[in-house]
Amino acid sequence: MLSTIEKSSPLRWLGKQLFNRNDPAGFFDPLLTMINPMWAQGFVAARIESVIDETPDTRTFLLQPSSRWHGFRAGQHINIIVDSDGVRHHRTFTVSSTPAQWRTDGTITLTIKRAPGGRITNWMHDHLQAGATIGISEAFGDFDLPAGPSPLLYIAGGSGITPVLSHLATLADSPYAAPVSLLYYVRTEADVIGAEILNSLAANWPALTVSIFHTEVGDDSQHINPSHFKNIPELSERQVYLCGPKGLMDRVDELLAPFGLRDDQINKTFFSAPTSVPLDTPLGGAITFTRSSVNVESDGDAPLLEIAEAADLTPAYGCRMGICHQCSCKKTEGTVINRLTGKASGPGEETIQLCISVPQGPVSIDI
Amino acid sequence: MTAKLNQQQLDSLAADLDAIRDSVRADLGERDAKYIRRIIRLHRGLEIGGRVMMPFGFIPPVFAAAVASLGLAKIIENMEIGHNVMHGQYDWMNDPSLQSQTYEWDTVCTSESWRQTHNFEHHTYTNVIGKDRDYGYALLRLSDDSKWHPGHSLQFINYILLTVFFQWGVGLHELESERIRRREIGLTDKRDFLKGFFRKGGRQAFKDYVFFPLITFPVAPIVLAGNISANLIRNLWTSTVIFCGHFTEDAETFSEASIENESRGHWYYRQLLGSSNFTGSKWVHILSGHLSHQIEHHVFPDLPAHRYPEIAPQVEAICHKYGLNYNTGSFGSQYRTVLKRIAHFSLPDRLRLKLGGMTAKQA
Ligand SMILES: Cc1cc2nc3c(=O)[nH]c(=O)nc-3n(C[C@H](O)[C@H](O)[C@H](O)COP(=O)(O)OP(=O)(O)OC[C@H]3O[C@@H](n4cnc5c(N)ncnc54)[C@H](O)[C@@H]3O)c2cc1C
Ligand code: FES
Repeated sequence: MLSTIEKSSPLRWLGKQLFNRNDPAGFFDPLLTMINPMWAQGFVAARIESVIDETPDTRTFLLQPSSRWHGFRAGQHINIIVDSDGVRHHRTFTVSSTPAQWRTDGTITLTIKRAPGGRITNWMHDHLQAGATIGISEAFGDFDLPAGPSPLLYIAGGSGITPVLSHLATLADSPYAAPVSLLYYVRTEADVIGAEILNSLAANWPALTVSIFHTEVGDDSQHINPSHFKNIPELSERQVYLCGPKGLMDRVDELLAPFGLRDDQINKTFFSAPTSVPLDTPLGGAITFTRSSVNVESDGDAPLLEIAEAADLTPAYGCRMGICHQCSCKKTEGTVINRLTGKASGPGEETIQLCISVPQGPVSIDI
Repeated sequence: MTAKLNQQQLDSLAADLDAIRDSVRADLGERDAKYIRRIIRLHRGLEIGGRVMMPFGFIPPVFAAAVASLGLAKIIENMEIGHNVMHGQYDWMNDPSLQSQTYEWDTVCTSESWRQTHNFEHHTYTNVIGKDRDYGYALLRLSDDSKWHPGHSLQFINYILLTVFFQWGVGLHELESERIRRREIGLTDKRDFLKGFFRKGGRQAFKDYVFFPLITFPVAPIVLAGNISANLIRNLWTSTVIFCGHFTEDAETFSEASIENESRGHWYYRQLLGSSNFTGSKWVHILSGHLSHQIEHHVFPDLPAHRYPEIAPQVEAICHKYGLNYNTGSFGSQYRTVLKRIAHFSLPDRLRLKLGGMTAKQA
């Protein structure tokens, strides 16, 4: 199909001559996707087959990626690409299903919790229904299954259970004989994600022990503490897999310290997304120009263009007053204030104009 | 005569215009994304339709349809998509195929060169004689700011050549041939630019004049003729639209001294006075890339252009509030004054004034 254009260099050359773009197949996307959204060439399309409620604020989306998608390993995540109110957003989610399922029927699942105040997770819950099509990236991440049959300890909090679901279901299939323990922290009974899968795994796979703790139930709140490790034999021999909110991960680090595990026994994956700086953060901050590997400090209201130039970088510019967009480039992280409107940007990746953007706190720029 | 504004008035003019921009900015969303995507689909349909029909151009009505289809495709791509995307009007959509800094359009001029000469030089120094090289394209004398010399008497011929070969003229604009002629710079100073020009120009010529004729070999002459016609139509239309934007009778020019330490208010003031609109149907606006709303475009170059007709009444009201001329008229009447300007300033000043010719307005 059209995607072969991208793979053959003479065709790519010809495509560039005819369509003035590096992804010539993408020229046809506006028409192709009108006929069938799954034919998109600019990104891998995936159709939502069904949406299942897990908990009051978490849903599982069953997706059918187009045949161009390369698959994944248990524990990996993907970026989804969605257009909401005209703006394209990328967000990262773990594939919560198994590679075996994808090989059998071509489907994968994403289990997505509404982030409080979050723009895209809430939009997905409110707007994405069976039949819709979104874009997905290839899978990435190295929260991989153990190489050999060693005893395992999983510690998960909230939606951090998603890679663990994929791991456990994959291991259960093998079947995995070494002991596997899961400590799973949720606020209340109702917040357990993947309850059905966990129950059926525990019932049919003797090597697995599942312990679920409720951190918000009345007086006996069960935040993680040393007693939770009591029933885990040979803890110091185990491969430990951690995924959850930062507070939980930090606490686990402290609690595990006495057990003397080696670094290579501990596997972590972070779900944290960048957060906005408080409104009263002073202007200026630590600036990273990622592509040139330059770090500088700035204070006061100097715009990024001047900061970059002071650091001997030579970003493109024209008017230096916000008109011409010659200086537009990607901010990958951090908050900037637009000098013309006085408005603060979001904390994530977006296009900004260097000449009128003043950093507020640490900022990374792709130049 | 247009009002001169003091600094306080200029500041309040800036605040009034900023308010319009902020309210449109805050409202950008689904509607704008849908609009540009619909236009892009239309472009793809017209381009593919034109290319497919062209080999059957031995049937005269099919030839006409194919040329119209491909010509319209090029016009829409250059004006409503390319020009506007490169201004950053759709950067906020975060769609990699609509990013100002990477978009490459279907014309000889490289996007990089265009962003430099047009987005920056022309939009920053609009109608400042000596700084805005778009003012007359260093080829035409359009005001008495530049001295008359005998070559100017034939400038109507230059104008016709420029409009017929407009895409090549625009492509070579950054060469600054007038400075090369004056030996201020040499060709070697422009090596990188020329490399880019030959690569892009070669690519455009290859596709329209070699590749598509060759793959339809038995009817190659028809396809070649059709592609030349489509490019010609686009050249004539785009140059005419652009000339109507700044070279009408009432469009004013500015001196370099007037923009020393320029305030934002004065920049706005200059954009309002140096630009001119023309009226027309919805399709005239679309095919002009909404440069029919040149005034709105020049005050808000990075707002999605299809918004210009919506905010035009507000901009016009602001002009009236400050006693500034809001230069608009029908397409025909505006174009007539452009031709008049080209003709009048081809004459030596004394003769022109004796004949009761045009006086240029400099604010
Ligand atoms: C490796 C990984 C795996 C994850 N797996 C899951 C999962 O399986 N289930 C689940 O519910 N959640 C998962 N998350 C968390 C999920 O990505 C966030 O909850 C989600 O991005 C919040 O988006 P939002 O638009 O609702 O929030 P918002 O608060 O609107 O987004 C916060 C801000 O952070 C920025 N931002 C958000 N996400 C990213 C990102 N990934 N990269 C760059 N910038 C970003 C945005 O620009 C935005 O401005 C995972 C996160 C990571 C990093
Ligand atoms: S340099 Fe012109 S917009 Fe920044």
